Amino acid sequence: MSLPVTPQETPGAESAIVKVAEQGGRSNPFLLMPITLFFALLSIAVLRTPSLMTPSGIGAAIIVVTPLILATYTLMASTISGRGTVDLSVGPLIGFINVTMIQLHAGGVLENPIPVFLYCMAVGAAYQFIFALIVIFVRVQPIIVSLSGYLALSGINLVILPRPGGVAPPFMAEWGYGTSIFSPVLVILVLATVAWLLFTATAFYTHLRLMGSDERAAYTSGVPITIVRIGAHLISGCFAGLASICFTALISSGDPSQGTTYTLIAVTALVLGGASLAGGRGGVFGSALGALNLYMITFVLSSFNFGSVQSFVTNLAYGAILVISLLLTLLIPVIQRHIRNFSPLLYFVSLGVVVFGIALHATFDYTSLGEAPAYLPGPMDMQAALTKPLEIATLTPQTLALKAQAVPFVFFTILLAVLAVFLRLAFAQANRRSLGPAVAVVVAALVLGGAWVMHEGVSVPGTEAVR
Amino acid sequence: MEKLPQIGLPARILGLVLAILLAGLGAGFGFVQGMAVQVVILSAIATLALTVWAWRYVIGQFVETETIVADGPSPLRQAWMQYRWPLIGLALVLAAFLLLSLSIPGFFNIWNVLSLIILLAILVLTRTLGRQFQQNRSAFIGIMVLAGLFSVGSMNIEGFASGNNIKSMLLFASFLGIASIGQTLVALLGGLDLSIPFIIGGANVGLLYLIGLGVPPWLATIIVLLIGTIFGVINGLLSYRLQGQALIVTLGTGFAISGGVQIVTSIGSAYSGNVFGTVPPWLANISAMNGTTFGLPFPPVILVWALIALILIVGLRTTVYGRYLYALGVNRTSASRVMISEMRYWVIMYALSGFFAALTGGLLLGWSGGGFIGVGDQYLFLTLAAVVVGGTSLLGGAGGYGFTVIGVLVLQVLSSFLVGIGLDFKWQQFIFGLLILPMVALYARSPHIRTQI
Repeated sequence: MSLPVTPQETPGAESAIVKVAEQGGRSNPFLLMPITLFFALLSIAVLRTPSLMTPSGIGAAIIVVTPLILATYTLMASTISGRGTVDLSVGPLIGFINVTMIQLHAGGVLENPIPVFLYCMAVGAAYQFIFALIVIFVRVQPIIVSLSGYLALSGINLVILPRPGGVAPPFMAEWGYGTSIFSPVLVILVLATVAWLLFTATAFYTHLRLMGSDERAAYTSGVPITIVRIGAHLISGCFAGLASICFTALISSGDPSQGTTYTLIAVTALVLGGASLAGGRGGVFGSALGALNLYMITFVLSSFNFGSVQSFVTNLAYGAILVISLLLTLLIPVIQRHIRNFSPLLYFVSLGVVVFGIALHATFDYTSLGEAPAYLPGPMDMQAALTKPLEIATLTPQTLALKAQAVPFVFFTILLAVLAVFLRLAFAQANRRSLGPAVAVVVAALVLGGAWVMHEGVSVPGTEAVR
Repeated sequence: MEKLPQIGLPARILGLVLAILLAGLGAGFGFVQGMAVQVVILSAIATLALTVWAWRYVIGQFVETETIVADGPSPLRQAWMQYRWPLIGLALVLAAFLLLSLSIPGFFNIWNVLSLIILLAILVLTRTLGRQFQQNRSAFIGIMVLAGLFSVGSMNIEGFASGNNIKSMLLFASFLGIASIGQTLVALLGGLDLSIPFIIGGANVGLLYLIGLGVPPWLATIIVLLIGTIFGVINGLLSYRLQGQALIVTLGTGFAISGGVQIVTSIGSAYSGNVFGTVPPWLANISAMNGTTFGLPFPPVILVWALIALILIVGLRTTVYGRYLYALGVNRTSASRVMISEMRYWVIMYALSGFFAALTGGLLLGWSGGGFIGVGDQYLFLTLAAVVVGGTSLLGGAGGYGFTVIGVLVLQVLSSFLVGIGLDFKWQQFIFGLLILPMVALYARSPHIRTQI
């Protein structure tokens, strides 16, 4: 009798884990896939729908995606603890907190924000506490406990609130509009993320990861595994409470069955984010990216009009992308052989620069520079169909001239990149593993460049590239 | 099994005679009171079997326990220490019953008292006898629960033990049973297959779509089964390559299959996702309530399920393939050392899973008469529940299809019982959820971490 899935079972995973252990916690090659996917999807989305890059576009995206991200956090916190804890009951739990909150509010109990927050997090934590106690003392496989919880909670949800309805507490009435970026929902998300990041600095988190990767080793080295497991589940429960608040803000009412759908999506998002369902590996960065990726898939597909088969195409894409990204994780040991020190942050920043450029290109109002683009009606040809999504407007000679003038600017950017690579190599030669300075240089250059462009753009329109 | 108490031959014969007498007495009373024939026969068989069992094990225990030496605390205190928790549990159950009968008028009638006694008897029997079984404890507990539920149900609910109700229970049980075959086989390897409900839905819609296109029904069935098997092979290859990720891989392929099938079926159709067509009469006959098997009045799907179950149970126990499957589930390293191809078994088991899921989809089409992609949705967790309630370990290597059959029957009888006492779907789901945990906890507890080092 051993743990459900021990990482030692496959040669590939074993070597990957050994490598990670050699390099310390900073380098997490499993983030490679979600970051790539995220930026690929983001650039397609921006090219297809430039309106995504407006305050209301981003605000709406945040409102929709936050419950999903928090649900993924919920799953992540308990999954790290190992024993194959995949909490299938996360969806019904969110639904349960939602419907009980709505019913209590209808009964006139929960009015103010503080009791609502306390109530939601307390219910989530209490459920996860019972979950942890059952796993620890009854010693049934966690997946069976969660299956049991899934069935029981999704049944009782329908009993408490037979059909969608009810009103959310008035203070969250305006949260779900999503008209601006800085909504309370974003604050909740940021606070939850920061809380987890602070938590990762504690010894408790190290214990948790040790227990998740090898419970026997943790036990023999004196980690209080009972307390660690309970702690992980309590954190998970608090995330569930927050997820449920954001979910309630999104739909502004109670829904007994909608929350249940979060189970499968959250599991998918967790895995897409590079976490290991066997335990010991996972983080907020990957989980948030995984959830964002799922949202982006739906968003990108909805920008292509598939008509009546829209939802089927979305399903197909979900499944296919999930399986393909899992298959691509098999390549990670191969990649690692060539790139010793993969830094997710640098990768994120460098891809971010590229996609930022694409976003600027897609949303920049070229028509303000020259004449209105000539729309050429006529039969559709293959060339136009392929290039059209990439071109927003036809460029006038004036704009082309401006582009020619921008050459020094581009040169400057390339110079900066070369400088960064040079610095990186210098640090590598000095046998230092930190990439901090190089990243800092790139970020600083970006900020300076952006500020300069904005400044020039405001003062003298049309002459942005003059040096 | 060597710890089993033995009793002498005369005692056994005495027990058998007693059992036959009791059964005959019961049957006689039943006929005198003019009850339905099925009830009388079933209760007679139940009486016979239970008496023989009880005689064999309970008497045997008493024979063996004469050698207890009383030292230390007094015998009474010893007994209290030993049976503390069961006694507290019994007291709680009795208190709950008293409370219910005091608060609800008309609750205190003879049938409820009988039900309580049966419930208590099952609890006591599982506590005392369950530990005699080293290997098949879950099966024993499952059968006890099944017998208890059935007897309580037939006492309390009008028409519960009627031929029609038994037929319908068996019909639904055979759908769930056939769908659970794959889950069981895959669980024996230590994997999971969450794509089963999606393949069921896909096969359900796809079969009707093909028939609607004018493909001969037999050919369409073969094509659908073949495609299901191919999806299973893909699942097997992927989950073998991505060890430990079977849950999420099969979920992903499931999404993809369900989406893909719907896209294919809605091309050129004005009704997105809805497929129309005529189900051939032979297919409808196979799984409809009023179907006939060689002139006998029960749907052939029950016979099909029984045959498959028999083949699987015998095959897993006796054939070399079955034994290799268990060997792989228990310890894959040692299994591959003795030249068992791991990958072949993963692929074959997932292929079988896909095949039987597609078969279930086809059979459900015959039952409902219309294609619906979501027809398999409830099987996502029900197949898992049937496997774990039956007692097959999700870690692999322990269990078998016989256990799953018991699990399926328990779930089905429980669901009929809950419907019978007037609870609707949501309450059923709630009670299912609450019952799975204690049932699994009775036999599938893993050892404490300190014993694993």
